[in-house]
Amino acid sequence: MLTFVVLSVLMIVGAVGVITLKQPVHAALSLVATLLTLAVTYVTLQAHFLAAIQVIVYAGAIMVLFLFVIMLLNIQGDQPQPHFRWMQIVAYLTALLAAGAIAATAFLSPRELPNAELMSEALAGGGAAAIGEALFNDFVLAFQLVGVLLLTGIIGAVSLVQRKATQTAKDERELSGV
Amino acid sequence: MLTLNHFLALGAILFAIGLYGLLSRRNLVAILMSVEILLNAILVNVVAIARFNDQAQGDVFALFIIAIAAAEVAVGLALFLNVFRLNGVATVDPLRRMKE
Repeated sequence: MLTFVVLSVLMIVGAVGVITLKQPVHAALSLVATLLTLAVTYVTLQAHFLAAIQVIVYAGAIMVLFLFVIMLLNIQGDQPQPHFRWMQIVAYLTALLAAGAIAATAFLSPRELPNAELMSEALAGGGAAAIGEALFNDFVLAFQLVGVLLLTGIIGAVSLVQRKATQTAKDERELSGV
Repeated sequence: MLTLNHFLALGAILFAIGLYGLLSRRNLVAILMSVEILLNAILVNVVAIARFNDQAQGDVFALFIIAIAAAEVAVGLALFLNVFRLNGVATVDPLRRMKE
């Protein structure tokens, strides 16, 4: 319980940092803190493999992408132009409403729920073996499709960022002396 | 005693924070980071529910969410680079032209 409270507080502080800090680099580091505490939370939920994936993919690969783009763009934080003053209030209200609705649904649920101590003893899943078995037996098609999606995403990202493909082709032809 | 409700509440709080960031920030990269918080709020729920209901499928589902998030970030950041190239800023303001 204490672990959960400490992790939750760290996670929420990190998340608030992401949306309040003006410097994008600070916000990105705050996001790293949130993602890492989330990984530790997965460990407490016996999802060891997922925790490793969270650290490698989220806190590793995705955050590196973010930092690269922040460096490329050289962003100096949000410009304080109050174009939509009312938007901030709407954002507050929407967020509060969503939090209230989800929390109400969670806590007013009439279903009896088992407690974590009992369940964690009963469970042996969460390791790579259990996930692999489910992934390659029941979800092979979805697994392949996610692979195709990732490939499409990579090709799309590269083709979007590429600048003046015809120009580079011409340069290369000139360089090769044709 | 730790119950599923605690994890769902944590997910709700994270989701609300992400939603606020999504609506209030104007920097495109900050908006994408808010989307990441939203996705992670969902992930907390998915993993916790899977764990409390004795199912390995939840972990697989979470794995797919992470993979799709990676693809989404790659494409999104590439788009933002183009927005920056065309307009000199990476905020939502120049994108107002899209409604014309």
